[in-house]
Amino acid sequence: MSLNQTPLFGHHETHGAKIVDFAGWEMPIQYSGILSEHKSVRKNVGIFDVSHMGQIFVEGKDTVAFLSYVTTWDMKRQKEGDCRYCHILNNDGTIIDDTIVYTLSDEKYMLVPNASTTNKIYDWLLSHANDFDVSIDNLSKDYFCLALQGPQAPRLLGQHLNTTVGSFQLVKLGETVVSGTGYTGEKGCEIIGPIDEVVGHWEALVEMGAEPIGLGARDTLRLEKGYLLSGQDFTGTQTTLETGYSWVIDWNHEFIGKNALLKMRESNYLKLRGILIEDRGIIRPGNSVFYKGEKISSLTSGTLSPSIRKGIGLAYLDLDFEELVTVEVRGNHLNGRVVRMPFL
Amino acid sequence: MSEVPDNLSYTKEHEWASLQDDGNVKVGITDHAQDALSDVVFVELPDIGSEFSKGDSMAVAESVKAASDIYAPVSGKISSVNTKLEESPELINESPYDFGWMVVIEPTGKLEGLLDSNSYREIID
Repeated sequence: MSLNQTPLFGHHETHGAKIVDFAGWEMPIQYSGILSEHKSVRKNVGIFDVSHMGQIFVEGKDTVAFLSYVTTWDMKRQKEGDCRYCHILNNDGTIIDDTIVYTLSDEKYMLVPNASTTNKIYDWLLSHANDFDVSIDNLSKDYFCLALQGPQAPRLLGQHLNTTVGSFQLVKLGETVVSGTGYTGEKGCEIIGPIDEVVGHWEALVEMGAEPIGLGARDTLRLEKGYLLSGQDFTGTQTTLETGYSWVIDWNHEFIGKNALLKMRESNYLKLRGILIEDRGIIRPGNSVFYKGEKISSLTSGTLSPSIRKGIGLAYLDLDFEELVTVEVRGNHLNGRVVRMPFL
Repeated sequence: MSEVPDNLSYTKEHEWASLQDDGNVKVGITDHAQDALSDVVFVELPDIGSEFSKGDSMAVAESVKAASDIYAPVSGKISSVNTKLEESPELINESPYDFGWMVVIEPTGKLEGLLDSNSYREIID
């Protein structure tokens, strides 16, 4: 199988990026180093090429009804110019993917699913659209996505495109959409537009001082904020309730998976919790989690937090906050406790 | 271009070994290895006095993204470890052949079967 490349691939290579295969794409894992890139985003501003993310457009007079049915959110509550983070569920309530939904107009919406699930989401939407007057287009190959993140991001956005954007709002500049969204917990935006314009945006923003950031720091930045990683923190067998993201559900509307979630809500279920490690050492996805000497779970995510310099991880647990656990790394048990997210 | 000092011996797994005047062998990872691993943020060192055979994993250097085993280039007993690495693992990146050394082994055999600088350069080029 040949790997996809974004138009910025040559740029990434000449900027000294280390390249990895990510969901079928050759993407930069890091440029100068994960620690310094992480710090740049927390303290200054970074730019991410996330053009591997999907762009699916839904258009037509039933768009609101259709997207309300196939996502956890009631799109009647959206106004033109709003963005919303929500989940797309199977009938049994398990998460197929998480996505941001962009209300471009009353009858035109855009979804931005993850790279590895875009085709699956597209097929899923098509297979549930029979009773709705909508057209659905997967235009992922035609659009770029750049994330500009960090305290200085709004200033650079103003300088570059002469605009501002509020949190979870969007502005349309011709075919380009700027949204107040991101995956780092910092101020900033994501810019989505025609793929042949990506190099111009990238060069201008880097010239203004945005530091190129790879997927490595993207992962440490999101994990410090407790954001979910598709395919890792949920893998097709966990529901929205189990991830602890029940705030993405509007219970006052009908949607695929709702009945299963209502049933689950009445039962006892595991929840994705943060684990903060007190001992020296680095925890990683797959490490076993122990409670009172017994293995109870495995980490879905785990890393060293560059900001707090401690191990942080996520695991599905039936434990209250502040309970003490250990995480096994190469036979050693590192002491940690269950904490509320975000870590930072 | 990675630095490969001529006066050291090397393994295919990117450790360097240096025979000391007292017969002990100082070990670390090469410039090429630290660059490939990038920011080292944690180092797990063996206990002093623990014994290893040549090729055993005796220490671990970890970056944010990956953990990398460090293998014994010679059989023997650990006579000292670089405890500075516990607080400052970045010394491995900044000074892989000097302040970033990892362990000293009191060898039970001869330092042999390793690569010289030219042969190691061929591996990493």
